[in-house]
Amino acid sequence: MAEVKSAEFKKASGRALRDEKLQHSLEHVMEHFVGARASVIENDFGDENWEAMRTRAAAIKQSTLEHLDYYLDMVDRSVRRNGGHVYFADDAAQANAIVLDIAKRNGVKTVIKSKSMVSEEMGINHILEREGIEPVETDLGEYIIQLAGETPFHIIAPAMHKTRQEVSALFQEWLKTAPTQDIKRLCVYARDALREKFAAADMGISGANFVVAETGTVCLVTNEGNGRMTTSAPRIHVVLAGMEKIVPAVEDLALFLRLLPRSATGQRITSYNTFVGGPRAPSDEDGPEEFHLVLVDNGRLNLLRDEVMREALRCIRCGACLNHCPVYRKIGGHAYGWVYSGPIGAIVTPPMTNMKVARDLPYASTLCGTCKDVCPVKIDIPRLLLHLRHKVAEGALGERSTTWMERLFVGQWHGAMRNRKALEGKANLGRLLTRPFARGGKVRKLPFAPMVSGWTASRDFPAPAPRSFARLWREELAHDNAHPNGTEQG
Amino acid sequence: MPPTPEEHPNKAAFLLRVRSALGRTDPIVHMPDHPSLKSNAVRQQEKVRTIVARNEARRSSALDRLARTAAAASWNVRRAGDAEEAASIVAEIAQQSGVKNLVRSAEDVFKRVNIDAALRSVGVSPAILASGRSRSRGALRDMAFRADMGVTGVSYAIAETASCAVTPRKGVARLASLAPPRLVLLIEPEQVLETLDDFFAITRLNRMQARGRTINYFNFISGPSRTADIEQTLTIGVHGPGEVHMVILG
Repeated sequence: MAEVKSAEFKKASGRALRDEKLQHSLEHVMEHFVGARASVIENDFGDENWEAMRTRAAAIKQSTLEHLDYYLDMVDRSVRRNGGHVYFADDAAQANAIVLDIAKRNGVKTVIKSKSMVSEEMGINHILEREGIEPVETDLGEYIIQLAGETPFHIIAPAMHKTRQEVSALFQEWLKTAPTQDIKRLCVYARDALREKFAAADMGISGANFVVAETGTVCLVTNEGNGRMTTSAPRIHVVLAGMEKIVPAVEDLALFLRLLPRSATGQRITSYNTFVGGPRAPSDEDGPEEFHLVLVDNGRLNLLRDEVMREALRCIRCGACLNHCPVYRKIGGHAYGWVYSGPIGAIVTPPMTNMKVARDLPYASTLCGTCKDVCPVKIDIPRLLLHLRHKVAEGALGERSTTWMERLFVGQWHGAMRNRKALEGKANLGRLLTRPFARGGKVRKLPFAPMVSGWTASRDFPAPAPRSFARLWREELAHDNAHPNGTEQG
Repeated sequence: MPPTPEEHPNKAAFLLRVRSALGRTDPIVHMPDHPSLKSNAVRQQEKVRTIVARNEARRSSALDRLARTAAAASWNVRRAGDAEEAASIVAEIAQQSGVKNLVRSAEDVFKRVNIDAALRSVGVSPAILASGRSRSRGALRDMAFRADMGVTGVSYAIAETASCAVTPRKGVARLASLAPPRLVLLIEPEQVLETLDDFFAITRLNRMQARGRTINYFNFISGPSRTADIEQTLTIGVHGPGEVHMVILG
C-alpha cells in the first residue's frame, strides 16, 4: 500500500503555507473551479432542482451501501455473464498480487494506465516496476507527476502545482524534448510519447467512476481520451474499483453523470464517457480480448462498519469539497499525506489507514460546512469530522490524546461556564495575565514554551478588551437601555 | 457466447465480511427496493415506447437543441438538408483541412450518405478501418494512428449534453472515432434523443432483450479531447480528436 505520511501533517502544512508560488496557483485554480461550478448549476438547473438531485443521489448511494453484499454479488454475476473476470481483494497487497498475476501470465511488458485513485492506494506502479513491467500513466496530469515521482496534488487536477517551466524541464529530462513555454507544444510532446506507449502496451489499467450492478457496466469519465485509449488499444483491460463504486441500474447513470462533471470542473459533461462491461465480441474490429474487474476493500470496511462514517462511502470523488475548503485552499493536497486530500481525505484517511498516524487530519477543518453544502451526494463531512475528533479525544487510540495543560484548562472552562460569577472571575484573571503581552490590540507572543507559547506560535490572539461586556453593561448600557421606548423591559 | 468465467475464491468470504460490517448475518434474498431496478422487460418496453413517441413528436426542437448545446461544447455543427448535401459537407471539411489519410467505418449510414464519391471528387480516397482478412490488430492500429481524419455514424445523439453515443462493433472500430486528430460524425434525425434519461432507458431495454448478444462497450463523445492539466490552461486535442464536427441531417 502507498505509504501514509499523514503524521507529518503539521510540518507539511507549514511548508505549503510558506510556498508563495503554490499559494498563488492554489487560489487561482480553486477560484476557477468554484466559479465554473456555480454558473453551470445556476444555468442548467437552479438551486432547487440541484438540491433535489443531490437528495436523490445521496439516497441511491446510501441504499446501495446498506445492501452492499447484495449488489457486489450482482456486479459479479453480471460481469461474468458478459465474459469478464471478477476478483475480490481484501487489501492493497491482494489487489497488487491479482494484477501482477494477470500481467505475468500474459507476458506483459508495458502497462498503460488511465486515472485510478485505487491504484494510487495500492502503489501499484512500484510493484510493477519491481517486476520489470513498465507502468505508464496516460492522464496528462498523472503522467507529469509520475515523471516527477510525486503523488496527486488534487483529485481531478493532479499536477496543478506544477508550472509550465517545471513540466518543460521534466519532459526535457525524460522525453529529451526541446525546452518550451508553450503549453500546447507540451501537450503535443506528451501525446506523441504516449502514442508510442499505447501502441506498445499489452495491458491497460483503468479506474471506475461507476460500476452498474444490473448490467456489469463500468463507467469512466474523462476529458483527454486516455480512458478510451486504455480500453481500446491493449489486448487486456484491468479495472480497479473501490467496492463502494456501485450504482444499481444503468438508468441511475443519468443522474450521476449530471452531478459529477458539474461538481468537479463545472462542465455540463466531460468530453468522453466510456461504458465497458466485458471483453470485445469476436466480431468486433478492435478492443481487449480479456476484461478483469478487481473490487477492492483496502480499509473501506472500517468505514462501512461505523454507522456514522458509512456515508463517507457515498463519495463520487468529484473534488468539490477540496475546491471549496478554506483549509485545502491554503495547504494543498500533499500535506494530507496519503491519496485523498481535503475534507474527504480528512474523513476517509484515518479509518482507511491508521487512526494514530492520521490523527491530525480530522482537525484540519474550520467546520464551516461548505463541503457539506457542495457535496453532490450530501455527505455530512463536518459531522463525520467531529465524530472522528470525538474518537481521538475519548482515547479510542488507547492513549490520552490531550496534555495535562489542556485538561486543566478544559476543567476550569467547564466550571466557569456553569457559574456566572466564576466565569467573570476567570475572564478577569485572563485579562490580567495577558495584559503584559498585548500590543496594539493583539497578543502576538505568549511566554513559557511550549505549552502556553504554542497558542501564539502560528496565530495572533485579539487582546481581551480592557473592560468586559458584562462590566460595560452594568456600568453604562443597562442604565441607558432601561427605558428605551418608555416601556420597561426587565 | 464465451464460457462464463469462474467465481473468485475470495468472493464468499469477502461478501460475508461486508454483510457482518452491515450488522446482518443472512444474505438478502429479495431485491432491495430501487425504482430503476423494479420494472421488468414488459414495463420497460412500455416506458421506451412513450419515450420514442415523445422524441418523434418533438424532433425538430430536439434537433435545434442539439445544434445549440453542441456549438456551446465546441463542436463544429453543420446541418444538411439531405444526404447529398451531407456528403458534400464531409468532403468540404476534408478538403479545407488538407486531409490525406481518411478512415471511415462501415455502417448503414454510408449507404444513404455517399461520402466516398464526394470525397473522391475532391481528391481524397477514403479507406474503411476494419480488421478484414489480412489486417492484424497492430496493422489496424497503425492505420488508425496514421489517419488525419475519421468519419463514423452514431447510435444516438443526446441533445441535453451534445453527447454522441458511438457503439463499436463489426465494421465500426473503436479507434476510428478516437485516433485521428479530426472527427466527423454523421447524425440522422431519428437518432436524436432529448435527454440522458431517454438514452439510458433505451439502453436498459436493449440489454433486457439482448438474449446473450450483450454489448460490452460504447462511448459518449461530447466534444473535443481536452485537458487543463498544465496551469489550468485549456488545451484541445490530447489523446483524442481536437477538431470535432457534427453533420446533422435535418
